Amino acid sequence: MLLQLKNIFKWVNSGGQRIFLLKDINLEVQEGEFISVMGPSGSGKSTLLNVIGMLDGFDEGEYTFLDEPVHSLKEKHRANLYKEYIGFVFQQYHLLDDLTVKENLEMPLLYKKFKGTERRAMVADMLDRFNIVGKKDLFPTQLSGGQQQLVGIARALISSPKLILADEPTGNLNSKQGEEIMELFKELNQEGVTIIQVTHSEKNASYGSRIINLLDGRMI
Amino acid sequence: MIKNYLKIAWRNLIKNRTFTIINVGGLALGMAVTLLIALWVEDELSHNSYFGNSDRIASVLANRTYNGYTDTNLTMARPLEFVLREQYSEYFDHIVMSKNWIPQYLEYDGKKISKTGNFMQNGAPDMLGLNMVSGEKDGLRDMNSIMLDESTAQVLFGAENPIGKTVEVNGEFGVTVSGVYADIPFNSSFYGMRFLMPLDRFIASREWARNIISDWGNHSFNLYVQIAKNTQMSEVSEKIKNIEKEQPSEAQFNPELFLFPMEDWHLRSQFKGGKQVGGRITYVWLFGIIGVFVLLLACINFMNLSTARSEKRSKEVGIRKSIGSHRTQLVKQFLGESFLVVVFAFVCAILIVQLSLDSFNDLAQKEIVFPWNESFFWAASVLFIFVTSLLAGSYPAMYLSSFKPIDVLKGSFKIGKQGATPRKVLVVFQFTVSVAFIIGTVIVAQQINHAKNRPSGYDKEGLVQLPVMSKEFLGKQDLLRDEFMASGAITEMSTSSSPTTGVWSTWGGFVWEGQPDDFQVDMAWTWVSPEYVESLNMDIVEGRDFSRTMATDSMTILINRTAMDYMGLSDPVGKHIWFPSEEGPQFKMKIIGVVEDIIAQSPYEPVKQSIYAYDRANNASFYNLRLNPAQGTAENLARIERVFKQHFPQLPFEYQFVDEEYGKKFASEERIGTLSGVFTTLAILISCLGLFGLTSFVAEQRTKEIGVRKVLGATVFNVWNMLSRGFLKLVVLACLIAVPIAYYIMDGWLEEFTYRIILKWWMFALAIFGAVLVTLVTISFQAIRAARANPIASLRTE
Repeated sequence: MLLQLKNIFKWVNSGGQRIFLLKDINLEVQEGEFISVMGPSGSGKSTLLNVIGMLDGFDEGEYTFLDEPVHSLKEKHRANLYKEYIGFVFQQYHLLDDLTVKENLEMPLLYKKFKGTERRAMVADMLDRFNIVGKKDLFPTQLSGGQQQLVGIARALISSPKLILADEPTGNLNSKQGEEIMELFKELNQEGVTIIQVTHSEKNASYGSRIINLLDGRMI
Repeated sequence: MIKNYLKIAWRNLIKNRTFTIINVGGLALGMAVTLLIALWVEDELSHNSYFGNSDRIASVLANRTYNGYTDTNLTMARPLEFVLREQYSEYFDHIVMSKNWIPQYLEYDGKKISKTGNFMQNGAPDMLGLNMVSGEKDGLRDMNSIMLDESTAQVLFGAENPIGKTVEVNGEFGVTVSGVYADIPFNSSFYGMRFLMPLDRFIASREWARNIISDWGNHSFNLYVQIAKNTQMSEVSEKIKNIEKEQPSEAQFNPELFLFPMEDWHLRSQFKGGKQVGGRITYVWLFGIIGVFVLLLACINFMNLSTARSEKRSKEVGIRKSIGSHRTQLVKQFLGESFLVVVFAFVCAILIVQLSLDSFNDLAQKEIVFPWNESFFWAASVLFIFVTSLLAGSYPAMYLSSFKPIDVLKGSFKIGKQGATPRKVLVVFQFTVSVAFIIGTVIVAQQINHAKNRPSGYDKEGLVQLPVMSKEFLGKQDLLRDEFMASGAITEMSTSSSPTTGVWSTWGGFVWEGQPDDFQVDMAWTWVSPEYVESLNMDIVEGRDFSRTMATDSMTILINRTAMDYMGLSDPVGKHIWFPSEEGPQFKMKIIGVVEDIIAQSPYEPVKQSIYAYDRANNASFYNLRLNPAQGTAENLARIERVFKQHFPQLPFEYQFVDEEYGKKFASEERIGTLSGVFTTLAILISCLGLFGLTSFVAEQRTKEIGVRKVLGATVFNVWNMLSRGFLKLVVLACLIAVPIAYYIMDGWLEEFTYRIILKWWMFALAIFGAVLVTLVTISFQAIRAARANPIASLRTE
């Protein structure tokens, strides 16, 4: 088992009222799964993804990731955990505009303290695999949306995470680009990477092996 | 990793040119000011460090009490030396009695020059650790020897070897050159000591000096000592404290001897009532503090601009955190960036310092050389860079790295009010310092002007003084006066025993009719020739001037207006003063007139009660010449020189303009004024640079709002008003804080002067007005640009 959420609650207080963002979420994710999280706007999809990705906290419940109790870990330890095992893909790609494609890919490796030669080899691998060798010295703004998202995914994958979290990865792309990205996810999943994606589209959800539906912070 | 940080930092700097220029430029300016001040402070602190034994050299001073006032005197009686040598020698490595700064005419092979030097006892070269160029260091053993400094030897002997050659002194005696020492550097107390001769040589040539060998009452010499290695200054001071007091004739003055360490000579040389009360060290502190503040101002610019731009950097922070960066890594990255900026700024600062060092030296009267070769300087510089990086970079680094990725990556993140409060506080701090600087500068300038505009009581312009330097002048003053006047160069000439710009002697112990009991008399006393009042163009308040034709005038005096009150004489003309003695009154002198006060001493102090006495006995130290206004100064001086050379062909023609000498009284304050003016200007420039950056940031941030407002009908003025008001409020607040602080400090500074300005509200108002005006101009530049932009263009960018 990769991770487990038990009775997770998350809320904010607004005007004396408690508004629940997540309500009693119970979820088990096995390695190799491809899960799609669906639901209307404001149903808590992104919040759930962020909680799983440890970017956001929660108010009640237990979260176990690879047998580590995330809820009781210290900030630094938690950061190490997701640095090691989790890769993010964002709707807005979130590449660093000041860095070239190559440098963007290299960045996570720097934070993991890989050696220079290793880094170069891994970056070259990634560029090859995603067919973007020719673009390696371009800056993100010189790329199309689809190409940027490719780089985003490549960056998420470069440190070989066990889990990829994708928040509407095709949201800003046209249908053809979106399809290519989803095919890529499917391939990755077949290679053993666990994927959790948030999506609005039934079609994209169908690439996955399981669908979780959220409504007002509750799983239905 | 570091390479990556630097790369990002570099690209960021390139991309935001305006901010980079403001940041690097502002910091460079601030650092340059701090560096200059640091060099200045270092120079002040290292005064006298040329002398290797400076930590063990001292001069012997005495606190002596006359008429209830304790004064600290630098001059000692001759017998003191003998007592120290005989009874206290174990405490000293050297005991050197000296007659200081005596100008002498030196002549060799027809070449005549006038140089100033000391007559010292033979431990002096070793005590001072003089660096010998040639000859022997122990060159004062023989009474008929002289040691020269290198440049004087060069002038006299050229390429010849000076050692063993004979130099004629004043045409009175010959001495043999025994050694040549390297010139003594500018920042030392013995700068300008061009020769050294044995003290015995001086004593042999002066009758009075031979007569006072056992006189404890005549204080005519300086006494320097080097204490023994195993002793302490305070310990030796304590030992010698009562030597003078034990002399029966001196006990009444309660003299207490003490050692004044060489390390204090330059910076802590002020004594009041026998207590050491500081001195230049105050200015060292003052400028040191200014230096730190200016650097702080520059650092604040960096902080403010960095945090203001945080919206742009927030996305990067979010991405890096989501990819796995720890906060500490981000802190390091941002610190690295500020380090980079600071290094750039430092390089620019060094350039600025190098380029401005000459003008700075002129301004500060220094001979500071840039210490390119000193490893200590570079070590200090590295430290300086690190401290500045931390100072400027730590707050932005902590602030920027605190963003939560979840907030910034949602894309809805707007900095808005966040971080604005600390920014405002910093701006207020900046302008508080700047406005306080402005107020200080205005007040210093006012005080100097005030003293300059004070009537000096005589006509300084067109007045030239010739110093009487040689015995050959004796008795020639009337002859010279006639010839000078006959040449048409002057309209009048007088002699005086003190220069018009100083009081060289004071006298007491005489009495007058109606003098209160136990009155302790202390009055300035100047011997003058009968034409003194005429040649100086002084005003007579009561009575009459001296007259050559009245034989009885040789026993008369003039007093100044202050002396009238001091002596308690409402109608002084016709009254007498005399010295009481057992045989009855001696030297009874009649007051024939009262003259207007003239400022001879400090222009900041009240004029001293003075007596001008008819000079019967060749007491002239100066000839005061009133130049003939019918001709140009150059022509007048040429004629005077012709007459002078006829009488003294062997003496160089030396003279001083009295107005220049008078101007020197303001030099120190003027220097402080100019320096603080320069630093103030730079401080304001730096603060405005920061404000300029902040305004452009705000204008950019509110582009959309401005666009919407303009579409809805806002005028350029409305928008300008909206953008400026916030900043203006901060500046006004800063003024309100600065005024009491500046008032307190400047009031304390003015306390030093008796003759001083009264602080008026308009001085503060002027400073505030200036600050607000400069602020408005700075803000308006950006505000008006933003306000005039086409709203359609700004709205389309969204």
